[in-house]
Amino acid sequence: MNTAPENFVQTLHESGLGDGWEWKNGSWWITPEAMDVRATAARMISLEARFVAITAVEREDKEIRLDYQWDWNGQLLSFTTATTEQRIPTIADLTPAADWAERETREYFAVEFTGRESTEPLMTRAGDPIGINLRKEAVK
Amino acid sequence: MSFRIPIGPYHPALEEPYKLELLCDGETVRDAVMNIGFNFRGIEYLAERRNYLQGITLVERVCGICSNVHSLSYCQAVEQLTGAEPPERALYIRVILAELERLHSHFLWSGVAAKLIGFKTIFMTCFTLRERVMDALSTISGNRVNYGMNCIGGVNRDIADPQAVLNILDELEREIGHTILPIFLHDRSVEARCKGVGILTTEQARAMGAVGPLARASGIGQDMRKAAPYCAYDRIEFSVPVETTCDVRARLVVHALEMVESCHILRQALRALPAGPICAKTSSAGRFKVPAGTAISRAEAPRGEVLYQITSDGTDIPSRVRVRTPTFMNMATVRHAVIGQELADSPLIQASCDPCYSCTDR
Repeated sequence: MNTAPENFVQTLHESGLGDGWEWKNGSWWITPEAMDVRATAARMISLEARFVAITAVEREDKEIRLDYQWDWNGQLLSFTTATTEQRIPTIADLTPAADWAERETREYFAVEFTGRESTEPLMTRAGDPIGINLRKEAVK
Repeated sequence: MSFRIPIGPYHPALEEPYKLELLCDGETVRDAVMNIGFNFRGIEYLAERRNYLQGITLVERVCGICSNVHSLSYCQAVEQLTGAEPPERALYIRVILAELERLHSHFLWSGVAAKLIGFKTIFMTCFTLRERVMDALSTISGNRVNYGMNCIGGVNRDIADPQAVLNILDELEREIGHTILPIFLHDRSVEARCKGVGILTTEQARAMGAVGPLARASGIGQDMRKAAPYCAYDRIEFSVPVETTCDVRARLVVHALEMVESCHILRQALRALPAGPICAKTSSAGRFKVPAGTAISRAEAPRGEVLYQITSDGTDIPSRVRVRTPTFMNMATVRHAVIGQELADSPLIQASCDPCYSCTDR
């Protein structure tokens, strides 16, 4: 099982990635206050980190938690933030790797990524309803 | 004269269902637009409505080629949440399954590539050898496609006769050395067909987040087995082949050399297979509790990094299951690889990215 290297928190701090990192269950996690997703993406790109994924999780207040995941030298860094009125700025213009991830997240969780030139459907087709994973018709 | 050529989603030039619109000036591709989602099954949605044990069976069906790596990644994430630690023997068996899966996937890819290059004899050889790997997988698991080997805390079946797999390995290594390597690494016709074709530069690969053999053929040397070791990979010696010419030939070389490395890994794992149990003990009722929390597991699938993120709310059904597959990152690179290329080369270029749309669409 993947484990955390020693002194990596110090490395993260010295690289300008902030304080408050915690290693938990396979990833480094941070939940910055009022996270600027575009500034974070720009910093990760400057560090030659690799964009991995956006993971959306539904919250009770109807906003969507978004975990932005980047690989930096084999370590997985997860920046946790949330939408405001189901909206968040795009990072696809900064890193094209995020283009499909944003389109998919829109279809699954109805998140609007602001600032995109277009949001063509990825898994669904034009006119299909969005928010597939928010549907409640299935009984848990 | 400009042409707009729609190919797919079901077309003889494609190995998988997706749609590619090529914008061409004469025979030269100027741009490409890709449409996916034709295999979309809503697996993440379904996994959030099934319990953890049902989830293993479900995610194994994300892909018909790399089915094992999905159940492995899923189980690894749940093991982090539950604290279940697989015994050593289970970790080695997981490595053996993962490398056999990589071998049969790479043989399949090599056969498809050989066919598109125009080398149908090698296509037949690759698929014959792939059958031998399937025989080994069938011997171990009883199945040819969905092996049902992984469980939370270990594996479901032991490898009773490692020597039987070693015997198949002898045959595979001999054929790879005599046939695959000379053709893919040194044959002049193959080189002439593939050299300089479908270039994906290191910068493009990095910007697009490419992973696996595709990224390693573009000079990015990351492999999860080395970068973030799991199972027993940190106890096994192997190399990660990297090429820097960034073309279809580089992808051929990387795949061929990775097959050799997989054989090395298999030989070590089969010989070092430790004695002991194959699954961690659960409570007396055979049940386990999954505490609330989030866990992430990454593994190196045949096509590159797979990521599973599982969030538990403390019930027996995960509240979130996120599956990020390698082709989801790799396939968008096709646009860069085909621009400026001959239209007739586009099927080979697409296939060289090793697309899997069952994985991508989920």
